[in-house]
Amino acid sequence: MFRKSVAVGAGLMVVLLVAAALPGAVLGANVSSGAPADTGKITVAAWQAALIAFGYYLANSPWLFGLAFFTLYRPLVAGFFVGCILGDPAQGTLIGAAINVPYLGFISAGGTLPADAGFAGWVGTTIALAGGLDPTKAIPIAFGLGLVGTIIFYGRMAADSVFAHWADARAEKADISGVALMNWLPGQALLLVISVVPVFLFALNGPAYVQDALSRLPAWIVTGLVIAGGILPAIGIALNMRFIFRGSVIPYFFIGFILMTNSHGSMSLVVIAALGLALAYLHLSFVRGLAPVKAEVDVAPVSGPAVAAAPRIEGAGSGVHLTRGDLLRSWALWTFFAHANYNYERLQGTGFAHAMTPIIRRLYTTEDEIRAALKRHLVFFNTEPNFGNIVHGTVIAMEEQRANGAAIDDDAINSVKSGLMGPLAGIGDTLSQSTITPILLALGIGIAGGTASGSAVPTLTGATGNPLGAIIYVVLVSIVIVAIGYTAWMQGYARGRTFVTELLRSGTIDRVLEGAGVLGNMVLGALAAKFVVVNLAPTVTIAGAQLNIQAAVLDPLFPGALALGLVVMTWWLLRRVNPLLLLSIYLVFAILAAYPFFGPDHTDSSDPSAQYQVCTASLLHPYYPCGAPPALPAPTVAPTVAPSVAPSTQP
Amino acid sequence: MSLRLVRIDDRLLHGQVVAVWLRALGAQRIVIVDDATARDEFLREVLTLGAPQGVPVEVHDVATGAARLIALAATPEPVIVLVRMPRTVLELRHAGVPIEVVDLGGMGSGPGRRRLHKTISVSPDELRELRELEQMGTRVEIQIVADDRPIPFHSLDSGS
Repeated sequence: MFRKSVAVGAGLMVVLLVAAALPGAVLGANVSSGAPADTGKITVAAWQAALIAFGYYLANSPWLFGLAFFTLYRPLVAGFFVGCILGDPAQGTLIGAAINVPYLGFISAGGTLPADAGFAGWVGTTIALAGGLDPTKAIPIAFGLGLVGTIIFYGRMAADSVFAHWADARAEKADISGVALMNWLPGQALLLVISVVPVFLFALNGPAYVQDALSRLPAWIVTGLVIAGGILPAIGIALNMRFIFRGSVIPYFFIGFILMTNSHGSMSLVVIAALGLALAYLHLSFVRGLAPVKAEVDVAPVSGPAVAAAPRIEGAGSGVHLTRGDLLRSWALWTFFAHANYNYERLQGTGFAHAMTPIIRRLYTTEDEIRAALKRHLVFFNTEPNFGNIVHGTVIAMEEQRANGAAIDDDAINSVKSGLMGPLAGIGDTLSQSTITPILLALGIGIAGGTASGSAVPTLTGATGNPLGAIIYVVLVSIVIVAIGYTAWMQGYARGRTFVTELLRSGTIDRVLEGAGVLGNMVLGALAAKFVVVNLAPTVTIAGAQLNIQAAVLDPLFPGALALGLVVMTWWLLRRVNPLLLLSIYLVFAILAAYPFFGPDHTDSSDPSAQYQVCTASLLHPYYPCGAPPALPAPTVAPTVAPSVAPSTQP
Repeated sequence: MSLRLVRIDDRLLHGQVVAVWLRALGAQRIVIVDDATARDEFLREVLTLGAPQGVPVEVHDVATGAARLIALAATPEPVIVLVRMPRTVLELRHAGVPIEVVDLGGMGSGPGRRRLHKTISVSPDELRELRELEQMGTRVEIQIVADDRPIPFHSLDSGS
């Protein structure tokens, strides 16, 4: 079953590669007259495609101090770099930000990957930027690409299991450097090839291919893609709401949304975040202060001695002791290489052994001891690689005691590893993947989303991207993640179990999560107002005047009510419906909603009246509002409108 | 049926359960049944304190766990049950806990273990126990996270 799906995946990949390579050569020749509404095309040179491909590899590689997954892998950041490579960082960041919104609730835990956000970001931005596509249109296209990218991840997860056995063989020979090498060299060589080749081809040929495909589609389907680009972000936002839209912090989401829509999208996300921080402080002081502390509610009293740290072996001069340098080296190796050979069989098993190499070198001298230690740490291991570092610190302290004669057997070490790695990963993933990263991303995306268009409902069309959004995100997320990882490692070593129980009992983590929930809901609400777009196109005739239902009736009462309704409905639906299924339903709905039920599909005429007929012909429309209806008396429009179009406005 | 998920996972409570399953099912209680964990006071405390706020975690040995689950199954409260190994499910089943479906969520590899699917490996003993569960009428499925499509165990079990 599994082999079959890999084979199908590989086959699909070959077909897509051929398809991506074809149009440049064959179809590209007859692309000329198509009338895409998008402008500003860039031709991707081979060197640029190569840089983009290498960037995608880096996004999955260990070389950036383990931070690639939090930085280069995110479409916001990928968009910035693709923009730099193609010569337009502002537009690249804007497109990356748009592509990133559906991935706001993205989580990869224990070798699962819902979609490849990195592939969507690097390839999607290239195609949209080089093809001069509207950022909104890039959203559904990039999401499709993200599904293709999972093939690379799953192929690698399967293949890397083999390299774990190569590491076993080195461990059998007590070859410390060999085990370390097997954790990164073969896995990364493979990853380099399977990442760079497809992304290079997609980057080189994708823009022309997608443009060609778009130019062949009926106008309403292309319009439907833009509508989908306004609707799909609701899924990313709702996925993220599953984590933070809970309990007493729910109202902050609506505050964020209302602030953004009622400032016509012009309120800075930094200001909203600052407000969020202030409100988080108030919330923790006044609302949470009334709730009982968790430790008093559901935890049976635990007797003291059982949770105390194992006694340290004291006695300077005797035995072997780890230096601070050993600890730092070990931490750095883990931070870099935890996922260098990520695989289905052991997950981070070889990464753990690699991190232990400086410790083993220091503590053990005989070949038997070294062999046993390497094998001990090559087994299955998986935790969240930052907060979960408490496990490593604790295990290192146990190894040190064991090397100095304490009665600690393999079972004791294994049971600490296997017992702690799960619960700590649960807390760690909640902290890093479902709280810190999405909140900071939402902030960065909001900043990157740039200046508002000034319309009643904010839109990305015509907005200017702000590369600062990507830069601020990278700086903040890197500081927070490294700080967590370092503290967990060192405290785990120094205090072991005591640190875990004290930290959990103090309720600090719950307080951080709840405060983050306030800030996160504010920012997420503001982001929903900025990126979720639902525009009703139909008009009603009242007292001889054509009125757009949304512009004339809904928005004056509550701007963005439809978008807000969509987001909340999506959040509710996600408890019952698989996200991918919901995404497909929304995509189909968006395209059907663009079908011209009430008028013509498109017009070559520049006559505003004809364009208005097209704009109001479907159920939804991406642009807001559909210009002034020809029959509507609109004084501000009158002076510039040709007499034949608006005779009634002439006195 | 309020035992929304009965999951065999040798890591018990971790990111997939806390960050994905709990949200997807809207579960309000987690019950861990494992003799060794129930004896370890430190692990018990980490597990009960480490879960998200508002989701109580109980750790039981098989004997008390069975009685607790029979009681919980009769209430409407949505519960996630976590165990380390197939034998525990079998014991719960023999003790009368109504389990319609058991989910294989994480079973690490190791010497003498055969890989069935991605992160799911089984020993010969576990394979026998899973077959016995199927014979008793409990469906065995692999579904690592909520968004995955469940794969029936018997479609991966080549027999013999």
